[in-house]
Amino acid sequence: MTTHSVSLVIAGSGGAGVVTAGSLLLNAAAKTGWYALMSRSSGPQIRGGEAATMLRFATRPILSQDDSFHLLMAIDWDNIGRFSAEIPFTGNSLIVGDPAHGPCPAALLAAQPRQAALALTDIAEKIEGGRPNMVALGAIAAMIGLPPQAMQTVVEQYLQRKGPAAIDASMAAFHAGFAAAADLPAIPKLPAIAAEKEPRWSITGNEATGLGILRGGVRFVAAYPITPATEILEWLAPSLAKVGGVLVQAEDELSSINQIIGASYGGVPAMTATSGPGLSLMVEALGLAVAAEVPIVVVDAMRVGPSTGIATKSEQSDLNIAVYGMHGDAPHIVVAANSVADCLFTSQWAVHLAESMQTPAIVLTDQSMGQSRAILPRPTPFTFSGQRITAPAAGEGEGEGERYQRYAVNGSGISPMAIPGTPGLAHTADGLEHNPFGTPSSQASDHQAQLDKRSRKLTQFNYANHWADIVDTDAGPGDIAIITWGSSTGPALEALQRFSATGGKARLISLRLIAPAQPDRMAAALAGVTRVLVIEQSHSGQFYRMLRAFYDLPRETLSLHQAGPLAFGPGRILEQLNSWSV
Amino acid sequence: MNKTQTDGTEIQTVPQLLAHALALETEASERYGELADQMETHRKTAVAALFRRLEVAEKQHLADLTALCKGVELPHYAPWDFKWRSKECPETIDIGRVSYQLSVRDAVLLALEHERRATQFYTDVANSAHAPEVIALARQFAQEEREHSAWLESCLAECSAADSTASEDPDPPLSQE
Amino acid sequence: MQAVVRNYKARDYKSEVKPIWCPGCGDYTVLNAITRALAELALPPHEVAIISGIGCSSRIPAYTSVYGFHGVHGRALPVATGLKLARPDLTVLVTGGDGDGFSIGGNHFLHACRRNVDLTYIVMDNQVYGMTKGQASPTTAPDWEGSKLTPEGTGINPFQPLVIGLASGANFIARVSSSDPVNMAQIIVEAVRHPGFSLVQVLSPCVTFRPDQAVWRDFVRTAEVDCTDDAARAARRLMTDDGFNVGKVLFKGSRAPYRPEFERSNGSIADLESRFML
Repeated sequence: MTTHSVSLVIAGSGGAGVVTAGSLLLNAAAKTGWYALMSRSSGPQIRGGEAATMLRFATRPILSQDDSFHLLMAIDWDNIGRFSAEIPFTGNSLIVGDPAHGPCPAALLAAQPRQAALALTDIAEKIEGGRPNMVALGAIAAMIGLPPQAMQTVVEQYLQRKGPAAIDASMAAFHAGFAAAADLPAIPKLPAIAAEKEPRWSITGNEATGLGILRGGVRFVAAYPITPATEILEWLAPSLAKVGGVLVQAEDELSSINQIIGASYGGVPAMTATSGPGLSLMVEALGLAVAAEVPIVVVDAMRVGPSTGIATKSEQSDLNIAVYGMHGDAPHIVVAANSVADCLFTSQWAVHLAESMQTPAIVLTDQSMGQSRAILPRPTPFTFSGQRITAPAAGEGEGEGERYQRYAVNGSGISPMAIPGTPGLAHTADGLEHNPFGTPSSQASDHQAQLDKRSRKLTQFNYANHWADIVDTDAGPGDIAIITWGSSTGPALEALQRFSATGGKARLISLRLIAPAQPDRMAAALAGVTRVLVIEQSHSGQFYRMLRAFYDLPRETLSLHQAGPLAFGPGRILEQLNSWSV
Repeated sequence: MNKTQTDGTEIQTVPQLLAHALALETEASERYGELADQMETHRKTAVAALFRRLEVAEKQHLADLTALCKGVELPHYAPWDFKWRSKECPETIDIGRVSYQLSVRDAVLLALEHERRATQFYTDVANSAHAPEVIALARQFAQEEREHSAWLESCLAECSAADSTASEDPDPPLSQE
Repeated sequence: MQAVVRNYKARDYKSEVKPIWCPGCGDYTVLNAITRALAELALPPHEVAIISGIGCSSRIPAYTSVYGFHGVHGRALPVATGLKLARPDLTVLVTGGDGDGFSIGGNHFLHACRRNVDLTYIVMDNQVYGMTKGQASPTTAPDWEGSKLTPEGTGINPFQPLVIGLASGANFIARVSSSDPVNMAQIIVEAVRHPGFSLVQVLSPCVTFRPDQAVWRDFVRTAEVDCTDDAARAARRLMTDDGFNVGKVLFKGSRAPYRPEFERSNGSIADLESRFML
C-alpha cells in the first residue's frame, strides 16, 4: 500500500454518532492540510439504522475511494454485515471493535484482516459526558497521524452552542482514545502538511452541482424532494435567494419540470434536480422542451434502479433513459459530471449549452459523487460567453415589418427567441409539430424542416475540448484506451496513475458529453489505439452499448460493467491494464 | 349582471347611438367573417361564400358608419353595458346556432333573423328617442338594415326549399391529439 | 361606463390562425369572450400570455395574438405557475378542458388552487374528450352511454370542479355559459382583476360528441345569489346546485397570492463560494 493515503470506515448503528464522527474527522483533516473524500452508506431506516462513513485521507488530491480499507473502527456491530460488500478488506486491514459489543461478525473476516479490541464504552463511561464515538475518533487520530489540536478546533466549532463543558467532555474522550491507541497495531500514518499550501474547498457533489447551476445563470428552480438529489435543491433554496433567484417546491416532478419550462419560456434560466423515478416522470415534458425549443436543465443524481430500487445507493444506470427516453426523434443534450469537483464545471456548462441551443440538457451525476464530501483544490473559475439568443422587439432588428418566425429555419438551427413582454413578437410556442411561425402543422415538409433544424443546432455546436477529459500516462498514450464516464472515472484515473508509475502506457477518455455523440473527436482520440477497456457501473453495460452504437471501437474492446452499489476499484482496472501490457 | 333589458329608451344622444351602431356593425362583420372562416375550414364552400358576402357587406356598412363617426367623441361601453335586448349585438349570429352541415338556406334564414333584429333595435331606438336627430339617424339605420334583409330575402327565394341542414354525417369524426 | 380612450379592440387579440373547432362549438364563444375581456382590460397583447395543455379548448393560445404556450396534456397549470412566478409583470391566463384539467392534470389543479398564484384558469367543460372521439371525462354523468370505451356508462359520479376548487383554496370561483358570451367576458375581466388563483368554469357544449348538450342553453339560469367571501356558504351552495347556475361570481376570497420575491439579499456567487473555502 502506498502511504500517501489512508482509508478507513467508521461504522455503527444510528445514534452511535458515526456520521458526526466522520464529519469531525474530515474537518480536522482539512485543518491538517490533507485532502479527503468522505462517502457514506446507510440502511433503509430514517433514524436508528446502521450507518457507515467511509473516509480516505491523502497528502495530494484524491480521485476515488481505494480498493480496500486500512481500518474499520466499529462503534458497535449492529447489522454491519450488510455493508460487507461495500467495505473490502485485505489481510493487512485492521478491524477495531469494542468488546462490550461482542466479537466481530464473520461476514467481515473473509479476507482474514487483523483484529484488535478497544473498550470504547468503558473508556467513555469513565468520563462525564464522554461518548464512545469521540473515544474512537481519538484512537483514529493517533493511528493516522492527525494532530489533536486540529480536532480541538473542530470540536470547539461544532459544540460552540453547547458550551465549554460539552467541549471539554468530548475532548477528554478524544484524548483518552488517543492515548489508548498506543496499544493498537499500526496502520499507515500520514504526515501533517502545511494547511495553506494551496487554496482548498470542502464541498459535496450536490453542493458543487448547485453552485455550477447558479454560476451558469439559473435563477428559477422548481423542486420535488427525492433521494439523493434533495441536497442540491436544499442548497439552492437559500443560495438562490441570495443572488436574486427563486426556488418553488412543486407538487410532483411533472409539475417541477413544467414549471421550469414556463419560467424559461418567460426568459429566466431554469432548472430542476431529481433522480431516476423523477426523471421517468419528466420524460414527456423533456420532449416538450425539445419541440418547443425551451432551454432547461435537469440534473439526475442517479441511484440504483429500476423503480424505487435502492434509493440511497449509487448506480450509473440512467444512461439509457437520459439518452433514449423520449418518444419521437428528440435531440437534446446529456452531459455527465465525472467527479465531485466536476459537478461544478459540468452543471455550469450544461446551463450554457441549454441556453445557447434552446434545448433541454440533462446532467447525470450520482449518489456516490453527489453525497460525497471532498476536500479538494479550489476549482479553477471559468466562464462561458454564449447565452440565449433573443429576438429584438419588432422594428428594432432586421426583417422589420415581417411576421416573427419563432422557429425560423436557418443555418445554425438556432432561431432567436422572443421573450414574453417583447412588443410585436407574440407567438405560441408549441409541442405540436409546427411551421416556422409556431402554427401547428401536420405537413411532412414542416416536420422534416423542424426535425432537421432541431438536430442541426446540436450537431453544429462547438463543444470544444469539454466533450471529454483525456489523460495519458506519463510515457504517452500507447495503444490502450480506457473509456469511461461519471463516477467510474475516479478509480480509472487512479488505475492509470498506478499504471503510469510502473511505466505503462495508456490513455483515459472520460466522456462528459454523452449526447450528442462526437464520433470525429472520438476517432481522433482513439488514433493508434488497438485495445479499449470500457468501465461503468451498470448491470447491462448501457455505456458500452451506447459507445458501440455511436463510435467505431477496435475489435479488442472489453466491457467491464457491474451493477451498483459496488464500484470498480482502481486495482481491478489496473489488473486488466497489466494483463494487456505483458 | 348589470345588463338592463331595454327597448332602447336609454339611447338618447347621437354619440350613444353611434357607439351602439359601431359596435353592432363591427361585431356583425367580425362574426360573419368568423363564420365564413369556420365554414371554409370545414370545406363548406357554398355557405362560407354566403357568410363572406355578408361580411363584405357589413364591412362596407361599417366603413360608412366610421366615416359618420369622424370627429364625434363616442362614449365607451364595456361589452356588457350596451343597451341590447339580446345577449350579444342583435345582428351578431349566435355561434351556438350554427353547425358544420348548415345549409345555405338555413344560413340565410339565420342571417335574416338577425338583420330583422337589427332593424327592430333601431326602430325601438327611433320610437323611444326624444331628440329629432337621434330619431332620424335611427330610422336611417333601420332602413339600411331593411335593405340587407331584402337582399337576404331575394337569396332565400333562390334557395331550394329542400336545402335543409343535414342531421347525419356519412363520415365519422376523426381523432386528433 | 368610463370616459377613457380605449386603445385595443377585441380583434387586436386574435391571430391569423383559423380555429379548427367544429362550427357551433362553445369554444369559439370563449375565444371571443377572452379577446373582449382583454380589450376591456386594455392590456397590451405582448404583456399577456395564455397557457394551455392538450385538447380542443387548449388550442386557444394559437388563435390569439398574445404570447402563448401550448404544452403537453394536463400540465398547463405548472407551466403557467412557472411563467407567472418568473415573470410577475405578465398577465397569465390558462385555458383548457375538463379532461386536461381535472383528470390527467387533477393534481396540478388541486395544488394550483392551493398555491394561489395570480392566474386566471378558464376551463371549458363539455363533459367529453373531443380530440379522441368522444370518451367520458371526469365531469361526465355516470350513465352516459355515448362512448365505445364505456358502453355501459362510467358508473362513477362526476368530479365537482368548483367544490373541489373551493376546498383546495381557489381565491375566485365563477361559472358561466358559452351561450352568454358578454357575461362571460365580464366575469373574465373580474377574474383577471382579482388577485390570486381565479377559476372560471364554462359550460361549453360539444356539438359533435354531445349533441344532447344543445339543451344547455335552455337549462342554464342566472344564479340567484350574490357573490360571497364566506367559503362555508359558497360550499353549501356549490354542493347543492345542479351545475346550471351561471353568470355570477360565486366566491371571492381574500387570500394573498403566492408570490416569492426575486429580491437580491446582498449576496453574490463569490460569497457563496467563500463558504466552501477552507
